Formats: sequence, structure tokens, C-alpha cells
Amino acid sequence: MDDLIYTLKQQIIEALNLEDMTPEDIDENASLFGEGLGLDSIDALELIVLMEKNYGIKLKDPSQGKEIFKSVAVMADFIQKNRTK
Amino acid sequence: MKPILITGTGVVSAIGLGKAETLEALLNGRSGVGPLQYLKTEHKEFPVGEVKLTDAEMRSRLGIADDAITTRTALMGMLALEEALKEAGLTPEMLPNVGFISGTTVGGMDMSEQFYLDYINSEAHKEYIAAHDCGNCTEMTADHFGKFAFVTTLSTACSSAANAIILGANMIRCGEADIVVVGGSECITKFHLNGFNSLMILDTAPCRPFDATRNGLNLGEGAAYLVLESEESAKRRGVKAQALLSGYGNACDAFHQTASSPDGEGAYRAMKEAMELAGIQPSNIDYINAHGTGTPNNDASESQAMMRLFGEDVPPVSSTKPFTGHTTSASGSIEAVFCILALQQGFLPANLNWSHAMEDGIVPVSQSTKKELKHVLCNAFGFGGNDSSLLLSKVPEPVEGPTKYDGASTGSATCFVMSAKQISLQQPLNEDWMQEPVVYDAPFVRSIDPSFKEYISPIEARRMGKILKRAVATSKEALNASGLNTVDAIITGTGYGCIENTEFFLDALSNDGEQLLKPTYFMQSTHNTISSLVAIQTKNHGYNVTYAHKGISFDSALQDAWLQLRLGKIDSALVGGHDEMTETFYHILKKGGVMGQDDEMCGESAVSIVLSKAVEPVETPLQNKSALRQAQEPRPLCKLSGFQMLHQPTMNTLMDALARLLQSAGKSLADVDYILTGISGHHDQDEAYLQETKTLFGQKPLLKFKHLFGESFTSSGIGMYVAAQCLKTGHVPSTLFVDSKEVSDKQPKCILLYNRSDGKNVSLTLLEA
Repeated sequence: MDDLIYTLKQQIIEALNLEDMTPEDIDENASLFGEGLGLDSIDALELIVLMEKNYGIKLKDPSQGKEIFKSVAVMADFIQKNRTK
Repeated sequence: MKPILITGTGVVSAIGLGKAETLEALLNGRSGVGPLQYLKTEHKEFPVGEVKLTDAEMRSRLGIADDAITTRTALMGMLALEEALKEAGLTPEMLPNVGFISGTTVGGMDMSEQFYLDYINSEAHKEYIAAHDCGNCTEMTADHFGKFAFVTTLSTACSSAANAIILGANMIRCGEADIVVVGGSECITKFHLNGFNSLMILDTAPCRPFDATRNGLNLGEGAAYLVLESEESAKRRGVKAQALLSGYGNACDAFHQTASSPDGEGAYRAMKEAMELAGIQPSNIDYINAHGTGTPNNDASESQAMMRLFGEDVPPVSSTKPFTGHTTSASGSIEAVFCILALQQGFLPANLNWSHAMEDGIVPVSQSTKKELKHVLCNAFGFGGNDSSLLLSKVPEPVEGPTKYDGASTGSATCFVMSAKQISLQQPLNEDWMQEPVVYDAPFVRSIDPSFKEYISPIEARRMGKILKRAVATSKEALNASGLNTVDAIITGTGYGCIENTEFFLDALSNDGEQLLKPTYFMQSTHNTISSLVAIQTKNHGYNVTYAHKGISFDSALQDAWLQLRLGKIDSALVGGHDEMTETFYHILKKGGVMGQDDEMCGESAVSIVLSKAVEPVETPLQNKSALRQAQEPRPLCKLSGFQMLHQPTMNTLMDALARLLQSAGKSLADVDYILTGISGHHDQDEAYLQETKTLFGQKPLLKFKHLFGESFTSSGIGMYVAAQCLKTGHVPSTLFVDSKEVSDKQPKCILLYNRSDGKNVSLTLLEA
């Protein structure tokens, strides 16, 4: 799980082009949106693309992202349970 | 304002070719949205509103040769323009006195997306490369009918056509033209179908605006043009008005680059401004043709804006997008024509597919209903919160009101250039280049970027390409140096917009196919991203538009600001000219003969200029103020005292334009000290350019700047910056003289900028110390 979390942090940094950030800068339990990292709806769409590309998980409805993208830890948990690749 | 007459209209969309078919469909509830037929894409799951003709069928109807270079956007534009010109009784001989302003965002993308890999890898289809430009589509459309006096292109995504209508109205009110044909055209492309899909805002079912179950939009395509005319001109020509344009508003939501704010601030301001300009109370509005795309976000936000503005008495509202799909850049003029038909025939167009009331939203008109209409609002909103609203009215009998347009009598046409900041391949953000400019010996040179950390936080920077960072940095620097806290308008010119993101998206589309495309690349590929991002960054809800028309993109933005300053609609404006270049597109454009010919050096440009109607009296510096503070007291760089723009000019029309320019500024040619040209190293063009310049201006000393700054679509903005710095310092660096024998110490008091973009469009800008 820790490996997945670390890899996921790297993938998020790359997909969202978070310049100057390293995986260590992201707290896996902190909120990705709003108060935490300060991401928005477009980032959520990028995370949907990331999940499909890397883990074969297809989200049809962007509003599902609200729960799944709460934090890196929650996202990793969802990926582990639903990944097809 | 005194209403402007609409003396001709033409329309093409999924519900028909021409107004007769369109009216029949609107009255009978016949939608044109259905399964995909014409566009070649794997996304067959999305219903669309296509114009039911192939490109070849359109060419044949228009009498255009089968092998002619055309784009679908231009062809649809021609079909609509033909109807509008015919109705207004405008013949080819009359067009040299008529302007043409069109809105489009995809431009020639239908061809670029088909041939992109050929453009990179072979010589095939290179004749289509020049057609990528939005302005090229506009010219293709215009030139099919004759020689219009001037042309330009608005590119504010889905409000482009509405903003073209606003510019046309401002030109007539200023007395710059009697007749201007305005509107927009846009075809569906794989590029934006996939782009909207990546944003997850396309519905796989027919769209249901303002319905609780709405789940996105259907894309559509089409074109529509309106002939705007002054009352005097219509009387003289003996033509009748179909309807009146009595007001209009443009505001920026300044909230998010693709989402509308929850309270619909931009939409609210645009509608309010339209009514105020018309002097019409909310209670007199009989119908609103909503933007109503069918996305959860738009319809909730637009509902809030209407409810805030009209309270308990929201007039009948409908979105006609279930008829046509969302015709994006053309929607503003297509729906304006629907409104004109509704005014003429007395009916409320239906909001098809509606059945469930949404929470906290308006309830639209679900069936076409007979009703006498006097005043209607027509909304068009674009990405980045570029929100516009038009107020159209039935022609009263008899027409009453003042005989003159307000702007025509405006005395002084002068405004002040308060500040100008640039990032280019010369020393960025300061004027040290004037002492020792760097001369590059390379065909393509990138700009030198400062550190952007001071202007943009790392989290904000995540979606910004270089062009956006440069735009934000130069804008903030220019605003700071202007001494103004805020400006009333942000007006931007860009030839190709965020071309790096366009390239990323085209690469992915061409190499990886139509799946898993990045939404960021798409949303940052629209031209108006730049202007709206500057508005978001500077929290500016004022007027906001973007021009994308080849080498006169910046000039068009400058003209817009100048017109509105004269009209008193604004007191200040931030005018930008921004273009970036990539290796790939540099090679494509060189191959297509667009740029980089002969000794022409390609660069990138970012320039931001603040204009102001008045200069605040400079306070006497207090003694305890530091020397630094005193040095920063704003002092205008120079005055902008005249502007003219022409399409396909002849020596006669050029002479006339020059005479008008000088007359409006109260100057004679003898007062002009230097002519700043845009010669670029493109041999044939430069030769014609210099010859024309000499014929027009005699033996005036000629200056150049592109050998130092490079050529880009908006390098005329850099030209204005260079001239302004010369006027401010009272010195012309010797490196700027075309002929080294003419180098002189003569202090510049008046410089005339003569921009001749590929010989087809020219602009004249008069700057004074």
C-alpha cells in the first residue's frame, strides 16, 4: 500500500504539473481539494484520466470523484480495490 | 444609446439553411440534433447538431471550385453571409464601405486536425497551413463576396459572435462605419468534441437545458450574420430594419477558466449593462434567449443571474440549444437571429426536452407560444467567463429618438498610454535593451523569461504555459506602472493563443487517438484563456474580449479600446498582445509560408499596455517620500491620438485613411517625425512594404523593430511599445533606423506606426509625446 501511495503521489505531481513539489510534500491524509492542496474541478478531471490510464478504472460521472479524491490515501484505497491493470 | 438598425440577417444551422427553414423548425419544434453523420470521429455516442451538408455540397452551392482551399467554418460563414448581404441589398460594389467582423475559435482546425501529421512529416496539404488562423477563415468568408473595408475576428470561445456584434455597434456609434456585418461561424471539429468530452460536459442523450436531469451539452455548428446599420445610412439607401440592437453588455465572471460562478456574476453584469445602455427597465423585457447549454453548472449559474436581476418576475426564458446543439462561437449570432424572428413573428421559442423543474432554477418556456414581443435579451457566455448579452427590440412605428449616434460627436479622440511592459527576446520587463539591443543570428528565438515566482504562485502555475505566465507578469507590471488601481477593460490580441497546448492536444489526438485526452490541454488551447486568466488574476469583472486575426490581432484589440474610450464606455483599458511559438509550429508555419521566410526571424511576444482617458494629476511628492517612490510617480509614456485599420487596401483607400487619421488628431503629415514599419526580412513583402510606405509618407525617416524583436502575430504590440519608449525618452536608438544614413538625434514628438500584415490588412496608429 505504501508503495502505491508513493507511486500515486508521483503520478499526481506529473499529471497536474505541480512544479517544485515532491511526493514528500504531499500528506496522504490531507484533503486534495479546498483547504489542502487547493485543487479544483479541472484537476479532478485530470485525476480521472490518471486513474483510467494507469489503473484501468473508468469513472463515468465526474461527481463520483468527490468521494474518491478526498485524499491520496482514500484514492489509493479505491484504486487497490478497483484496479483492472 | 440610440438603437442601431439590423437591416439584414442570414443563418445556417442544424435546423436549416436560411431563415425560412429556421423559422419553420422553431415554430414546429423540429430539432436538428441527431446521430453524428458528417464529422469523422470514433465518438458516435454523442448526438450533435450538424449542418446537413458536406463541405463539397457547400462548395457547389456557393459556386466554389472543388479544389479550392476552404474550411468548413468559412463555407458555413459564406452561406449565412450570402443571405444577410442579399437581404440588406448590399452588392459587391458597396462592400468597400462596409466592415466585416466575425467570431470563431476553431478557425481552420477541421483541416489542421486532419493534416497535422502531414504538416510535420511531409509536404502534403501544406497549402492548408495558413488556413489554421481564425482570421484566415474570416477573410476567406469575406473575400468570397468582394472587398470589405476592414475585417477582424473575435475569439472569446462561445460568446465570440455576440462580441463581434458589440464591436460592430461600437464602430457605428463612433461614426467609424455606417454599415458593419457582424456575427460568427463555427464547425464541429474532432478537436473540440474531444475537448468537451475531456471536460465531461457532453451528454449522450439530447440536451435538456434547465431540467433537473440535465447532464451536459450537445455540440452543434452553424453560422449567422447580422447587417448593422446607422439610421442615416438605412434611410439613404431606402432599406427597412428587421429589428433594432438597443443595448448590449459584456462582463467577465473572473471566477474560473471553465466553470461559471455560483451566483452568475458575469452573466448578471452583462444583462444589467445591456438594459442600462438601452435605458430599458427589467419589467420591459419580454423574453430571454438563455445561453442554457444544458450543463449542470451553466444552467444553475445563469438561473441565479436571472433571478438576481429580475427577482420574482423573471420574463419567459428558453434555451434554443436543443434545436441546434451548442453552436459555440456562432451561438451568439445564431440565437440573435432566432430572437429577431421571434420579435418579427411574435412567438416565444420553445426550450425543447424540458420536463423536470430544477432546484433553485428558472422554469423555461417548454412549448412554442404566440406572444407579442418588444424587447428581448440574448445571452452568450464563453469559457473564462467571457459573458455577453444583447438587447434586441422590435422596430417601433414610427422610429423615434435622437438623430445622431453618441460617439460620433465625441470631441477628443486622444487617450494616454500610461505604461507598457514586454517580455520578448530582448531584456524583459525593463528598457535596458534600448542601450544595447541583442542582435540574434538565428531563424527562431525564444523569449527570455524572468522568474515568474513574484507574479504567480506555484499552485497557480501548474496549468500555465509560458504564454500565460508572460501575460500575467506583463499585465501586473503594466498595471503597477500605470498608477491606476484597476482598469475598466482587458482586451487581448493573440494570433494563435496557447499554441503549445494546442500542439500537445493535436499530438495526442493524432498519435494516441480519441481517448484519455488531457482536459488541461484543451481548455488552455482556446485563445481567450489569456485574457480571462488575466481577469481572474487581477479580479477584474470589466469588459473582456480577445481578438485572433493574423498580424492585426493586437491592432484589433487596440482599436476596440480606442473606440470604447471615445464612447466613454470605459475610462481605462489593459491592452495585450501575446503569442508564443513552438519548434513544431515554427517549422509548420515556415512550410506553409506564413512566417520565417527569407531572413525573417521568428520570435515570441508578450506586451501589455495600459491606456487611460485621463491622467490623474500627479501629486507633488512629499518631502519624506523616498527617492524611489518619487521616481515611480506615474507619467504617461505618450498619447494615442489616432487609429485606422483597413482590409485589402488600395493606394487611394490608404491615402483616405491617412487623411482621416491626421484630421481626427488635428495633425498634418509634416508633424509626423518618424514612421515605424514592421518590415521583417521577408524579401518580397518588405519591398512592397517599403515602396508603399514611401508613396504614402514621402521622405520621412523610417524605423524598424522586428530585426531586434522577431516576427510574431502580435509583434505590432511590441512596435507600439518601442514607439512609446522612444517618445518617453525623447530619443530614437540608432539601431532602429531602416537606413543607417538616416540616423538622427531629432527628438521624436510624433511617431506613426504603419503595420502592414501580409499586405492584406494594414493599421495606422498615431502616437504623440
